[in-house]
Amino acid sequence: MPRLTPRGVLVAAVAAAAIAAILGGCGRSAASAEPHRIGVIVSLTGSYAGLGDPEKNALIMEQERVNDEGGVNGRSIELVFADDGTDEARAVTAASKLIEQDRVVALIGATGTGQSMAIRGDIRRSAVPQVSMAGGTVITDEFDENVFQTPWSNTIVVPFVLDYLRERGLTRVALLTDAGGYGKDGHAIVTAEAPKAGLEIVEDQTFKPGDTDMTAQLTRIKGSDAEVILMWAAGKEAVTVANNREQLGIDLPLVGGPGNARREFIQGAEEAAEGFVLCAGRILVPGAYGEDTEEYRVAADFIERYREKFGKDPDIFAGHAYDAFHIVVEALRRLPREYAPVHLRDEIEATSGFVGIGGTFTFSPTDHNGLSADELVMYRVENGEWVLEE
Amino acid sequence: MGFPELLQFTFAGLKNGAVYALLALGFTIVYASTGVINFAQGEFYMLGGMLAAFLFAAYGLPLPFAAVGAVAVAAGVGVVFELLAIRPRKDGDPLALIIITVGGSILIKALSRHVFGPDEVSMPVFTRGASLEVAGARLELQTLWIWGLTATTVAALTFLYRRTAFGRAMRACAVNRRAARIVGVDTRTMVMASFGLAAALGALGGLAVTPLTQMRFDAGSSVALKGFAAAILGGLGSPVAAVVGGVVLGLLESMSIAFLSSTYKDAVALVVLLAVLFMRPQGLLGRARREKL
Amino acid sequence: MTPAGLRAFGSRWGWVLAVAVAVSTVPFLTSNTFLVKILTLAAVNVIVVGGLALLFGYAGQVSLGHAAFVGIGAYAATYLTSVAGWPWPAAAAAAVALSVAGGLLLALPSLRLRGHYLAMATLGFGEIVHLGFVEAEPLTGGVDGMRVPPAVVAGLDLSTPAASYLLTWGCALLAMVVLRNVVTRRPGRAMLAMHGSEEGAVACGIDLTGWKVAAFGVSAALAGLAGVLYAQRTGFVSPSQFGLTASILFVAMAVLGGARSLLGPAVAAVLLTLLPYIDALVPGLPRAAAEFVQAWVEVLVGFVIIAVMLFAPSGLAGLMRGAAARLRPASGPADTGAEEDAAAGGGEAA
Repeated sequence: MPRLTPRGVLVAAVAAAAIAAILGGCGRSAASAEPHRIGVIVSLTGSYAGLGDPEKNALIMEQERVNDEGGVNGRSIELVFADDGTDEARAVTAASKLIEQDRVVALIGATGTGQSMAIRGDIRRSAVPQVSMAGGTVITDEFDENVFQTPWSNTIVVPFVLDYLRERGLTRVALLTDAGGYGKDGHAIVTAEAPKAGLEIVEDQTFKPGDTDMTAQLTRIKGSDAEVILMWAAGKEAVTVANNREQLGIDLPLVGGPGNARREFIQGAEEAAEGFVLCAGRILVPGAYGEDTEEYRVAADFIERYREKFGKDPDIFAGHAYDAFHIVVEALRRLPREYAPVHLRDEIEATSGFVGIGGTFTFSPTDHNGLSADELVMYRVENGEWVLEE
Repeated sequence: MGFPELLQFTFAGLKNGAVYALLALGFTIVYASTGVINFAQGEFYMLGGMLAAFLFAAYGLPLPFAAVGAVAVAAGVGVVFELLAIRPRKDGDPLALIIITVGGSILIKALSRHVFGPDEVSMPVFTRGASLEVAGARLELQTLWIWGLTATTVAALTFLYRRTAFGRAMRACAVNRRAARIVGVDTRTMVMASFGLAAALGALGGLAVTPLTQMRFDAGSSVALKGFAAAILGGLGSPVAAVVGGVVLGLLESMSIAFLSSTYKDAVALVVLLAVLFMRPQGLLGRARREKL
Repeated sequence: MTPAGLRAFGSRWGWVLAVAVAVSTVPFLTSNTFLVKILTLAAVNVIVVGGLALLFGYAGQVSLGHAAFVGIGAYAATYLTSVAGWPWPAAAAAAVALSVAGGLLLALPSLRLRGHYLAMATLGFGEIVHLGFVEAEPLTGGVDGMRVPPAVVAGLDLSTPAASYLLTWGCALLAMVVLRNVVTRRPGRAMLAMHGSEEGAVACGIDLTGWKVAAFGVSAALAGLAGVLYAQRTGFVSPSQFGLTASILFVAMAVLGGARSLLGPAVAAVLLTLLPYIDALVPGLPRAAAEFVQAWVEVLVGFVIIAVMLFAPSGLAGLMRGAAARLRPASGPADTGAEEDAAAGGGEAA
């Protein structure tokens, strides 16, 4: 074994000194006059960039508004963004950076279910409350007292859609789901809930994100005795499904979920989107609330301000971010100027009757999703617009 | 299963297969001139769709012009990539070049997100109209476009390779680069041309598919994987081999959905691919290539 | 590499020890657990890339499926501790053994295939294993992934930032020592001969089959070990972490590091792992600047990969040898690069 040379010792010393110097710069003390610092983990790169982008937009817009109005309890709101690149390992390191280096009081995020679950360990250890903007059922099903969620969970949406199918007498269902997280989640709940709703899954097909043609799957469905195609997918592949269905001349109705409540779907499928029925919250057509309700005012105001600032309509992801932001901010408002982190968690859990974009949130010690099927409606695509399905 | 359904599955397989074939052609062309698998090939597929949709929507170009423009710009990007990132590596070490194309793929994808945004874009079909009915199966007009473009491309490439001085120079490069240089072939131009041509083919595939599937900045890699598999399956030889590889892979996927389950279509395709490789390590048409050259 | 070159490499062992000393002090110097965590991830990749450097830089076998072994290690250790209730050391050992079994399986095609066809076969293997992670829900938790219980051995929690850092870097340095012993002795020479010319190697009486299988086995074992440690560090495993993107990045790290070198790939692994976190690593970077860096970091990664391959023809190893030769002009020939590139080109031609 070679000896440790003097040169080696020197190098070691220099390296250690350099590392220590870097670390020295990272320390930060939290003074009481500091803003409320909230960490945000979003996917700004990678495959969820299209979701993380509007989320960040909405968060920045709401941060500016609250600060312009004087902040919360005399302290401004400071959002610290971290990009997880749609990658679990980066989400985990982002969480520890935000919690340990930036000393945030709460975490908003992540964009995706996998990333939201990946940071669970850090959330447990630090007891910093997390409000996720991802829709995976597992986030609140695998219960943690510190973790909340703003999108409509599939456990609420799926039974609502299945009820709709049964009411229409569409009992033989062909299920078509994507093999990504959202579709898998929906698939598991649909197959579990369908028998309870008196429905029968007669064909069960999947596709992968990135697939360019679904005619083979749809041909299987065409050859079955299904009465309706239930598609559970988020992403551009839904457009391919709609196009292929049209092309194959399949006249079974096509029904989907909130994952398809995106402008891009209608733009991409054009005529093939006509007649498509989907379930989502009321934000798509705020008038669904009734024009003299608070829900309508909140949604219409948000849509107008977003459109003005960013030149396009907010989508449901911007709405999930709005809700996550204000759930935390409202909880901060109810707290005194100085508080312990655990009290912020308690206040978030005490959220009751908060009117957001996704609906009216009421959390409880056993329900951290906070929404109910009352927030949901069925839409139909008509002349390139969403209209309420009667 | 009745005949119309079987035909429908065949159409589905041939449609995907044609797209895989266009990508496989790109892999084959670059491989022939450099011995390199171009990991950025999928990004040109993506660029084709993004650029065409962008030119169509933002500048209001008529669809044919937008398509030609997209192919031209993508080919330009391919040439620039070769000039700036491939050519400076003088020794032409294939492994180093492969890793450069990996870097290029990351770079092009990230830049596209900045330029085109993170959302998917749409484009109308080339010819509006109802699907054709063929023996009980449906055939949409865009599929005919995809087949037509692929067939034209293969015919043109075959002509180029067999009948023109440029093509002969390309083939000479493929057999032995050093010898080609000695007999006066400008190998550097050949490499540049192969990158441009491969980029154009990828872009063509991307823009032909976009009306049916939309396009997004990160859509290149998953399709490129299929194209790579098709190229290997065919044996990385002639244009015909690439098309055979693409069509076989497309049909394999489609038939595994028909007779097994869509959950395992990728696994089935991969297992068959591995089995073929194991039994014919040179690919399906690998030997044919050697005889021809 | 010539025996003289090997000796020159050996004389740099003092440096390796120095690095070990410097590295082990980090958790004691800082309370910044974020930094400790990303440095731990760097060590995880050092282990994987070390194995690839052997497989690829010495034995000349390409693998585009190594993320699968990392996944097998991570999932097996997690399943065995959290579901089957095994103690962590036993689970970790079993996980590595399972990865080795996978590596031996993957060695089979390598006996018949070469070059791009082998690359495709390993890629296919990786994709199939990845599909398995997604579909084998009872074992893996499917796309939702599964959380990893902390490894507690003899009352010591190995999942704390400092403990997992020391454990992971310890394993990384140990792996480097073992690998160095492999490559400087008979196995390494045999593999290099094989890399140069398989026919020539056979003529010299080298057992091709044996060494190829051994190289796949060792690299799979290291990848599996890295997976076990990775699971401890992130506390969460899901299929998307072990896909083709990761496999390609591992290969990129190995090639950026340089062929016939262990140190180069290790340095490349550390640098490329830390690059996406550059916004958090520069002290005092204003928030707006940090967000700008975040937005452009992928462009930077792509750019760095291309730039290294263009301006450092023999990878980081070549750069480091060049720098070392300038520092100590008497201690051996400078890296010419030409010899290595010729050999690399020869090994690649299928």
